[in-house]
Amino acid sequence: MASEMESSLEASFSSSGAASGTPGFLPPARSRIFKIIVIGDSNVGKTCLTYRFCAGRFPDRTEATIGVDFRERAVEIDGERIKIQLWDTAGQERFRKSMVQHYYRNVHAVVFVYDMTNMASFHSLPSWIEECKQHLLASDIPRILVGNKCDLRSAIQVPTDLAQKFADTHSMPLFETSAKNPNDNDHVEAIFMTLAHKLKSHKPLMLSQPPDNGIILKPEPKPAMTCWC
Amino acid sequence: MALRSVQGDGLTSSRWDGGAEKTDFNAKRKKKVAEIHQALNSDPTDVAALRRMAISEGGLLTDEIRRKVWPELLNVNTSEPPPISGKDLRQMSKDYQQVLLDVRRSLRRFPPGMPDEQREGLQEELIDIILLILERNPQLHYYQGYHDIVVTFLLVVGERLATSLVEKLSTHHLRDFMDPTMDNTKHILNYLMPIIDRVNPELHDFMQSAEVGTIFALSWLITWFGHVLSDFRHVVRLYDFFLACHPLMPIYFAAVIVLHREQEVLDCDCDMASVHHLLSQIPQDLPYETLISRAGDLFVQFPPSELARAAAAQQQAERTAASTFKDFELASAQQRPDMVLRQRFRGLVRTEDRTKDVLTKPRTNRFVKLAVMGLTVALGAAALAVVKSALEWAPKFQLQLFP
Repeated sequence: MASEMESSLEASFSSSGAASGTPGFLPPARSRIFKIIVIGDSNVGKTCLTYRFCAGRFPDRTEATIGVDFRERAVEIDGERIKIQLWDTAGQERFRKSMVQHYYRNVHAVVFVYDMTNMASFHSLPSWIEECKQHLLASDIPRILVGNKCDLRSAIQVPTDLAQKFADTHSMPLFETSAKNPNDNDHVEAIFMTLAHKLKSHKPLMLSQPPDNGIILKPEPKPAMTCWC
Repeated sequence: MALRSVQGDGLTSSRWDGGAEKTDFNAKRKKKVAEIHQALNSDPTDVAALRRMAISEGGLLTDEIRRKVWPELLNVNTSEPPPISGKDLRQMSKDYQQVLLDVRRSLRRFPPGMPDEQREGLQEELIDIILLILERNPQLHYYQGYHDIVVTFLLVVGERLATSLVEKLSTHHLRDFMDPTMDNTKHILNYLMPIIDRVNPELHDFMQSAEVGTIFALSWLITWFGHVLSDFRHVVRLYDFFLACHPLMPIYFAAVIVLHREQEVLDCDCDMASVHHLLSQIPQDLPYETLISRAGDLFVQFPPSELARAAAAQQQAERTAASTFKDFELASAQQRPDMVLRQRFRGLVRTEDRTKDVLTKPRTNRFVKLAVMGLTVALGAAALAVVKSALEWAPKFQLQLFP
């Protein structure tokens, strides 16, 4: 457990290869890294969301993600430079079990994504949440729920109140958004930045307390639920 | 004979780009086409020669040749009518939705200039082929990335033949990826680090410290690089190679790519994100012929049977005796294609000294150690125990190397 904590510190504080066991590298630049894993069914838009945040636009075309993709963006929060790493995972169920596991290591936050135009993807959420519980040591890791594709108004299958109820039950804030909607470039950005702010403010707690020490991050009492499309 | 000259080419392949050798290139190409046709026309078909052609520099050269040779490599009879199904598979198949999603999103796999209508027609065929194979082989399970393999066959040989070829491939080379779970796939990925360790321990240790894992190579392995290479010519060249080789060859090729990028990796921050990011972005200008030749050499030097134990140890804790046994089975099964590589390697022995420097770092010349042990086998049972895992390979292999 101690080593788990140590590597978590490392992942958070080293940006230039100061991992133990590999001496002779540059000293860490001390810019913090927030590692966020994005999970959910196939085709809900995980790749598009992460791409939108990291590249600032909707990708021309995306393909099925096989395994785990990685995207990164540096942001500044309250004058501090922070790297946000998004780990974009394959949606097909068979990849979850044996493949993605490794990448849950040291994650600081989890983003669950469903497709608002696809009820099945919403119904899969409990199994994703369960999956996540099994992989994460700490129970106090911030989690958010994102309903994607809200621009496809006529095709919406998952009503907001249903999603909100679900989010409340699981103590997560809910965001409904669209990675694609060109009229609102900032919403996806705002979601990840909200998460980053939350991580930044709670970070010292997460780092200084062992996971089983009972420090629980209070979820937002009134989650920021809005569709800004 | 031909074998030897082709090997010579392989060693100088990096210089082939030079315009001065263009004439030389054309002459060799012509010669190779003739040899392939000769092998195709001989009775019975000289499959061993075709395997050599598929592996050696340039592979099978054209799609026209591939249409004739790929069925031979897979032992598929082209005169038999292709499998068909009378049922409405799109209604019945549990995989239809996933297949549809993946195929719809696979635009990048089609030639850039292709008219939409034609592409859409091919995408429909792609769905049909996949569903048909799954229906005929209920033991096979669809995985994301399977469509990347099928589309390659569809584009080269057309729907009719693609169905037969992919069906055969799915029950052989791809079989492990199509289990109900990906445990076997994961285990095949476990061969990656031991191969790297044998050749370049420093690189191996760096990657271990970074805890990079092996998922960066997952899509390489299960799509035979079809998912990550944008130039279709490179994809089919690799398919020539893999079709002619042992099912584990793609993991050797993956290792060779990592080894080729040694400096970039070592220059990276030693953490999971940086190394994963670097390695998962595959360079599009890799020296494919050199790497193919190197992968073949590594396969012969460090055959799966020798690596099986190290691979199993990669995740010892999770593994049961039964599955480990299966790995050994896997490692020793279907090795006929390797004879070609071994024969090919025989010609290389003379030049072994030259390639050795490139291939292996001092600590790890297991190849030589193994051979020396082989000579000692007769002296005692202890030595025998040491080389036991390599024994199935050893007799012929060593005779060839040390006549």
